[in-house]
Amino acid sequence: MAVSGFEGFEKRLELQFFGDDPLENMGLRLIDFESLEQVLHAVNCTVVSAVGNHFFDAYVLSESSLFVYPNKIVIKTCGTTQLLKSVRPLIHFADKLNLTLCECRYTRGSFIFPKSQPFPHTNFKEEVIYIEENLPNNLVYRKAAVMPSKNPSCSWHVFTAADQNHHRRRSLNSDVTFEVCMTELDRHLARRFFKKTGDCKTGDLAGKEMTELTGIDDINPNAFICDFAFDPCGYSMNGIDDDRYSTIHVTPEDGYSYASFECVGSVYDDNIDIVETLKKAVQVFKPATVSISTTSNRREVWTKVARAMEPLGLKCRTFAMDEFPAAGSVVFQTFTAATHQK
Amino acid sequence: MAEEGQVIACHTVDSWKEQLESANTSKKLVVVDFTASWCGPCRFIAPILTELAKKLPNVLFLKVDVDELKSVAEDWAIEAMPTFIFLKEGSIIDKVVGARKDELQQKIALHSAA
Repeated sequence: MAVSGFEGFEKRLELQFFGDDPLENMGLRLIDFESLEQVLHAVNCTVVSAVGNHFFDAYVLSESSLFVYPNKIVIKTCGTTQLLKSVRPLIHFADKLNLTLCECRYTRGSFIFPKSQPFPHTNFKEEVIYIEENLPNNLVYRKAAVMPSKNPSCSWHVFTAADQNHHRRRSLNSDVTFEVCMTELDRHLARRFFKKTGDCKTGDLAGKEMTELTGIDDINPNAFICDFAFDPCGYSMNGIDDDRYSTIHVTPEDGYSYASFECVGSVYDDNIDIVETLKKAVQVFKPATVSISTTSNRREVWTKVARAMEPLGLKCRTFAMDEFPAAGSVVFQTFTAATHQK
Repeated sequence: MAEEGQVIACHTVDSWKEQLESANTSKKLVVVDFTASWCGPCRFIAPILTELAKKLPNVLFLKVDVDELKSVAEDWAIEAMPTFIFLKEGSIIDKVVGARKDELQQKIALHSAA
């Protein structure tokens, strides 16, 4: 393991709003670009590519992704970004559109290089204190927890907060969110995410090549992909398919290689779809270790996750489940190759 | 022409047809930006497109709002925004979907030189 290197593990923030403004059908999508830039500046990242459809806007950032729906924002950033600094300005800009925060979710795995993280990300306790200081009082239900695995340096951190109406909204929410974190990527496959030497192809063109070469475009053939390749290595993509997003980020360097895959499905989805999608995504990287966090209102979804990993030779080593306000059930599973010694 | 070096917005089907016809006869490369007022990525790329239009007066840049000219957007099967369609002598020769700066510049260079 390297002494220090780029931190692939992301921090993820999801904010949901409600409002009775007649323009609310486009809601947060009406935040002008200068304001979004201000938010991203506070976090320490920028937009490198973007695309939108009738349901939402998807931005590829210098350090991960941003999704803007009319009533929801999802922002996921890696490296040493200060993601939580986006909370206050986002609430401010939403307020200008007469939108009120009703739910907040913050999740992350364990950093490979925790000592390199800036305030308030120095540790989970600090993060929770910081979020709470910036949340409005109407979010009365709050919970923070660290979900363990057998490895003390591999846990899943969750904080959620919701207002008093979250029970009503929960029954209407059929979303399932999968957050997959992969480490110790197959070296040969990871090399595909390095720009070829002497290649003067720039970001989005080089990204498109990587998407096709690695079979990432095959994971969900229905999705439109917005991709980007970084210099000298690294890759990001957002997939948009109706109102669903998927996103992949790769740190391919040996010693701290990492790849993440995140997507949203529905509890009503065909079992086969979820299993196939997760399988295909993980197969792109053939990692030695995988952790998957599944968030939904239905607890049994996690069984599909285990079913997806098994044929890849990945054995489920740990399992943790907990309930959180608004988010519902969060299941955290870790997998390692059947022959792995850890 | 006063409009050279600018992105020309087509607000009616008639002005759209007019612009296409004049480009057809002049054999100019046409780049059409299909955009929506509520689409953030369209706002992100807008200044970049304006810069390109200024630098390349020999290319015709048109802008079509998918809500204003719904029928045109449907005819051209626009699903994601922004979508840039490249036309020469009345035929579609290329397409860029998304606010992809590098791809856009590369394709404009490729097709305007031809």
